[in-house]
Amino acid sequence: MLRFFAISFVLLSVLHGTSLSFAETLATENLSFDRDIRPILSENCFACHGFDASAREADLRLDTSVGAIDEGGAIIVGDPDASLLVERILSEDDDELMPPPHSGRTLTSVQKEKLTRWIAEGAHYETHWAFVPPVKTTPTDVDNTTSPIDGFIHARLREKDLTPSLVAAPATLLRRVSLDLTGLPPSLTEIEVFEQAAEKDLDAAYEALVERLLASPHYGERWGRWWLDQARYADSNGYSVDSPREIWLYRDWVVNALNADMPFDQFTIEQLAGDLLPNAADSQKIATGFHRNTQINQEGGIDPEQFRIDSVFDRVATTGTVWLGLTVGCAQCHDHKFDPLTQKDFYRMFAFLNNQDEPNLKVYPDDVDPQTLSTEKKQLEKSLEEICDQQLEAITAWENSLGDEPKKSLSKDVLKALGVKPAKRKLAEKLTLTLASGVLAEDSQVKIMQTRISEIDRELARANSTMVMSERSQPRQTFVYIKGDFTRPDEQVSPGTPSVLPPLRATSEQPNRLDLARWIVADENPLTSRVIANRVWQQYFGRGLVETDSDFGLQGTSPTHPQLLDWLAVSLREANWSLKSLHRQIVMSNTYRQSSVVRADLAEADPLNILLGRQNRLRLDAEIVRDVALVASGLFSPKLGGPPVYPPIPDGVMSLGQVRRGWNVSKGDDRYRRGLYTFVYRVTPPPALNVFDAPDGLSSCTSRIRSNTPLQALTLLNDSAFYEMAQALEKRIATEGLEAAFQLCTSRQPTPEEIALLEQLDTLGAARALLNLDETINRE
Amino acid sequence: MNPTEHNLRASTRRHFFSQCGMGIGSIALASLLADKTLGEDPMNAIENPLRPRVAHFPPKVKNVIFLFMAGGPSQLETFDYKPKLNELSGQPIPESFTKGKRFAFMGSSHRTDLLGFRPKFAQHGKNGIWVSDYLPHTAGIVDELSIVKTCSTDLFNHAPAKLFMNTGTGQFGRPSLGAWATYGLGSECDNLPGFVVLQSGPRGPRGGAMHWSSGVLPTTYQGVPLRNQGDPILNLSTPDSIPQTKQRQLVDTLRELNLKRLVATGDQEIGTRINAYEMAYKMQSSAPELMNTADETSDTFDMYGIKDPNESSYARNCLLARRLVERGVRFVQLYHTNWDHHGGATENLETHLPKICEEIDKSTAGLIADLKQRGLLDETLVIWGGEFGRTPMGEVRESTGRNHHIDAFTMWFAGGGIKRGYVYGETDEFGFAPIDKPCHVRDIHATILHQLGLDHERLSVRFQGLDVRLTGVEEAHVLKDLLV
Repeated sequence: MLRFFAISFVLLSVLHGTSLSFAETLATENLSFDRDIRPILSENCFACHGFDASAREADLRLDTSVGAIDEGGAIIVGDPDASLLVERILSEDDDELMPPPHSGRTLTSVQKEKLTRWIAEGAHYETHWAFVPPVKTTPTDVDNTTSPIDGFIHARLREKDLTPSLVAAPATLLRRVSLDLTGLPPSLTEIEVFEQAAEKDLDAAYEALVERLLASPHYGERWGRWWLDQARYADSNGYSVDSPREIWLYRDWVVNALNADMPFDQFTIEQLAGDLLPNAADSQKIATGFHRNTQINQEGGIDPEQFRIDSVFDRVATTGTVWLGLTVGCAQCHDHKFDPLTQKDFYRMFAFLNNQDEPNLKVYPDDVDPQTLSTEKKQLEKSLEEICDQQLEAITAWENSLGDEPKKSLSKDVLKALGVKPAKRKLAEKLTLTLASGVLAEDSQVKIMQTRISEIDRELARANSTMVMSERSQPRQTFVYIKGDFTRPDEQVSPGTPSVLPPLRATSEQPNRLDLARWIVADENPLTSRVIANRVWQQYFGRGLVETDSDFGLQGTSPTHPQLLDWLAVSLREANWSLKSLHRQIVMSNTYRQSSVVRADLAEADPLNILLGRQNRLRLDAEIVRDVALVASGLFSPKLGGPPVYPPIPDGVMSLGQVRRGWNVSKGDDRYRRGLYTFVYRVTPPPALNVFDAPDGLSSCTSRIRSNTPLQALTLLNDSAFYEMAQALEKRIATEGLEAAFQLCTSRQPTPEEIALLEQLDTLGAARALLNLDETINRE
Repeated sequence: MNPTEHNLRASTRRHFFSQCGMGIGSIALASLLADKTLGEDPMNAIENPLRPRVAHFPPKVKNVIFLFMAGGPSQLETFDYKPKLNELSGQPIPESFTKGKRFAFMGSSHRTDLLGFRPKFAQHGKNGIWVSDYLPHTAGIVDELSIVKTCSTDLFNHAPAKLFMNTGTGQFGRPSLGAWATYGLGSECDNLPGFVVLQSGPRGPRGGAMHWSSGVLPTTYQGVPLRNQGDPILNLSTPDSIPQTKQRQLVDTLRELNLKRLVATGDQEIGTRINAYEMAYKMQSSAPELMNTADETSDTFDMYGIKDPNESSYARNCLLARRLVERGVRFVQLYHTNWDHHGGATENLETHLPKICEEIDKSTAGLIADLKQRGLLDETLVIWGGEFGRTPMGEVRESTGRNHHIDAFTMWFAGGGIKRGYVYGETDEFGFAPIDKPCHVRDIHATILHQLGLDHERLSVRFQGLDVRLTGVEEAHVLKDLLV
């Protein structure tokens, strides 16, 4: 819940569990276990009376009907007064009271009342909502809206006698959707074109805009970063030594796959198991870089197996978090306290991810054919060898003729070759001597062939390297590790998936990663489509329909709009897992297009804007803070992909880690590339990104914090990179005017008061002010 | 932390604006807007995430100074006097000690023969506490210290162990001690960060910024390194020699422009940003003022062993630590490298260990004495120690040194609420393991929080379905015996 506005996280905590608890509707409606009861039990009871057998007290579990009613006898169905559970939660004796006072947990009177009423109503248990397959329903078309999204949202608003907000002003809308889909603000021309089109027909203009943005290659960059957060991508090995690594081809793979709208199931399979696909292409192997984004410890004195296992732990936890929205990692040391995941389940997942070697893959540019080149090189070498061997006698004669004196005039290479016994000489040595002896004619083929070999070597050296997964022919054995300690192996386990979820359909006796990947995106998996749809939604509104976007388990929050979540999830699957189609559905909705201005009535009734009676105003991601300033200043380089770059950073940053790393500032366009392309050392991350909450690449980040700090102010005010952009914007003010500069930053026309305030400053001051405006680094 | 408590002050103010019980700043703001009573400053409704907060119970200290001896100082050459080691030097340690244990460098330089120590030990202070002659000044203030000889940790490689000492886990992404302290208590200082990090020695601590990370807490709470070269805080100086008056004018104009947007949108975050710019501006003068020690006397410099006040050193950092707590900075952490005395070329026990002891000894003692004479020691908790200790067995590289050791090592504590001239716990004849009053890193964490008035079981944050706490899920105990 923290990963929301810096300030709101405080407020959220206050209101958690009290706001929007549907209190008014409760009086008339039956209580729902899932919605009303489980959260209370999970928060207060399951730690000792839940799934984890080893932590269970009094042999009582309250997470299942059998445990609580049939075996435990704590609940007498329909009779709260006779139920031990009710007696204990209402007890005035501290020794009797549940939860016990020393646990620090207390039930509120409303919670006690709910539990009592639920027992009176029959104590019906339900399967946790997230484990039930999503079902697509049609919203009751409450106010003739076209998008089902709006139908679901408006229905909930109407229950509270609230109305949605009006569509945002065209300029706001243009900037919002441009930033959300491409991470770049519109240019002055784009603003003008859109405003003119909007005047004629706003809906048509907006629809065309959305299509243009979805087709832009910058879409893949913006949403690529969203995925790279989850993949914990960075450009170094982490831990203490933190050497640079080369894995940017994986980053480019993600961007390209999203731009091509690769179906999300395929996107998943290639990343988890691309190497196991039949005749895997290079690109499919590159995709397996997903799980190579773990850290590598190069510190002296370590046990490498310990850190290999640590990286597998991370891969299991990350797979659970990213696709299943389950805190699988919690079961590393013990059975999960809240969710039906045993420690054994964890190690069965572990077994899938324990069978890889971790090599580097050489990838050649399209115009280099390594096979043909290598064959040609071998043939050339063979021919050269033959030529040399034909001259063997002549060379031996020449060699024998050499006295001590002439030897002095020979080059080092020749002397070195002479030092090797004739039978042991390699091709290079033979060639050196053949040429030095002068036994061949001046126009010999040898030189031509040598030149060609150098050419081939240069071509072959154009390969880039990237880190990939490769399945071992002999699988490793996997054990349950007692308390997660790899020195304490217990029972041996084979690969498998948690029993609470639909069964794995393995293609062989020893299921592998490919089976796991296919299981994750199988139609019957109730989690993946919901988790992904929710996480996309979260980007657009700052908060998921399920607020705990990486915990769909029993401790997670229930969806605020369960039918909408299911509708989005099923639609995603039905659209052949097209993410672009999901984006289109969301940004085309009126809910998305509303104004974000705080309304007094909404603030009163729904202070956290959970019902979405308006849009939310959101601080831009770290990289986009940079991108917006780059575009506004006119310095922006739109170049896509390639190795990471080194924009200016403050002096001394790179000496903060154990090993001082170099930072040769990029020249030319590379100085002004998007934040996505900045080289990220895990231990000494680029300060301007770090300070705006870019994730550290140490573990998967599914939702960024949005903090708001003085160090951010210092960065925008004084950082040399931002200052350089301010100077460039100063020049634009001089040529294009202050109003244009204001529009470049905010996409809207300034008011006369705003212009008057800016005019009090000199031009450079005005440029700096514009780049520092809260509005510039937010999308409204 | 109990969220209700966390927001005690906020809710008081909230009540003022709204009686619906669900009111928050945005309601206040929205009602201001609705009532068109804009004569009132909309900034009144804005929360500051670093505002001082009420502790769980009355605190013993306000501030913490953690002197982190990075690399793992040897307890056997400093505080844990084991004559038996010299008697049996060169003989193998009985197998019962090491059976089933794992160590760093097991395949290479790790050895099992006991290694004697060189320094001379003597008893000091009222209670006759043993301190080696490598630390004569520390010996001189031993009556102020509680020496804990039985510290233990879980991890034996530097970066993970440092992380464990700072965040309670070897995993990444958890908040560090200083982040927890500022999250729990806010900051008393409105012109410097609440959590400040200072570094000295030949290199940065292994693992870098993750040691002062805010983890799952907002970055508001992360440690801010004060640097010794260039700007003390990154991007502190105005670029291109733009005069301070212009910077002020810029910040004022920004305030006006942002305020207009605040009123137009009702988004409180804009208010937080206005405050952030004001603090940033103040820091531009307060941080250099902090770093400029020209107002200190030569007696003070002598006390800390500062030779050149402008030269970066551990000694100067100790003085800065005092200046920081004086200004109300909640948590100050000093790192000094490198204490990793394996016996390598630059890390032997014969010359390098005594040298680094000398580097820190006078300044550390000077810090304690200076805090005391200024009445600050009672409201400050000072901690000295590293991520682990060293083995009683020798390790063979270019010379003989000691390997990483996690079963027993020494740290000391001083300041408000801590016993003075006291030794906590005892180790076996070789200093290998505790035989009385063991003290795990978790216990240290619980104790530090306790002195700040925070209950380690209640100070938590919800993340991915877990209540994340500094002390984690395993048991942790406040070291009651350490406390007055």
